[in-house]
Amino acid sequence: MAADAGAIIAGLGGVDNIIEIEPCITRLRTEVHDASKVDAAALRAAGAHGVMAAGNIVQVVVGPEADTIASDIEDIIG
Amino acid sequence: MTTVLAPMGGTAVRLAEVPDPVFSAGMVGPGLAIDPVREPVVAVAPIDGIIMKLHPHAFVIVGDDGRGVLVHLGIDTVQLRGAGFELLTTEGARIRAGQPVVSWNPVSIEASGRSPVCPVVALDGDADYVTGLAHGRIDAGDDLFEWA
Repeated sequence: MAADAGAIIAGLGGVDNIIEIEPCITRLRTEVHDASKVDAAALRAAGAHGVMAAGNIVQVVVGPEADTIASDIEDIIG
Repeated sequence: MTTVLAPMGGTAVRLAEVPDPVFSAGMVGPGLAIDPVREPVVAVAPIDGIIMKLHPHAFVIVGDDGRGVLVHLGIDTVQLRGAGFELLTTEGARIRAGQPVVSWNPVSIEASGRSPVCPVVALDGDADYVTGLAHGRIDAGDDLFEWA
């Protein structure tokens, strides 16, 4: 199942919380302002296989469609 | 049954020992990693199929049964933005196991402070169906594991 871009943005704490989002081949590497606003359960519900957070870097594992999902997210957050 | 071949020579390493939390936890699937030989390497396709994703540092091949195998060339290598990797085929191409996909050099990856270890993952696979994991020294094209 492809993860839902809008739901991933919400799970990352919303558009204003996202500094940068970069796709690797199976994951979205994101930098956020406030990691406490990230909702790992919501990200899993949005289709993520898992979420790894270290400081303000949050990696959302979405499978090999990561680059497509990242461009969907970039289209939404502009 | 899919026989997944080693995309390069080196030493077989359990995924759990890969220095990356996503791969070591099996979050994208089970499989096996290769600690590659320290010389310029041409990574070859581990299965027959279509190149679904081709990044400089990683690629996914999907077989006719719809199952995908990921080969990731080194850890955190997305940060290199393609430097040191040369693509030898194109996304969407049909490829046979053993044909070249990317040339790269594990020596320069290691010199950049990154691990050159290469996870080979049965994407979204069930660990119970991945068997016959290779041990020790392997050459490119050797059987790496079976995916039932």
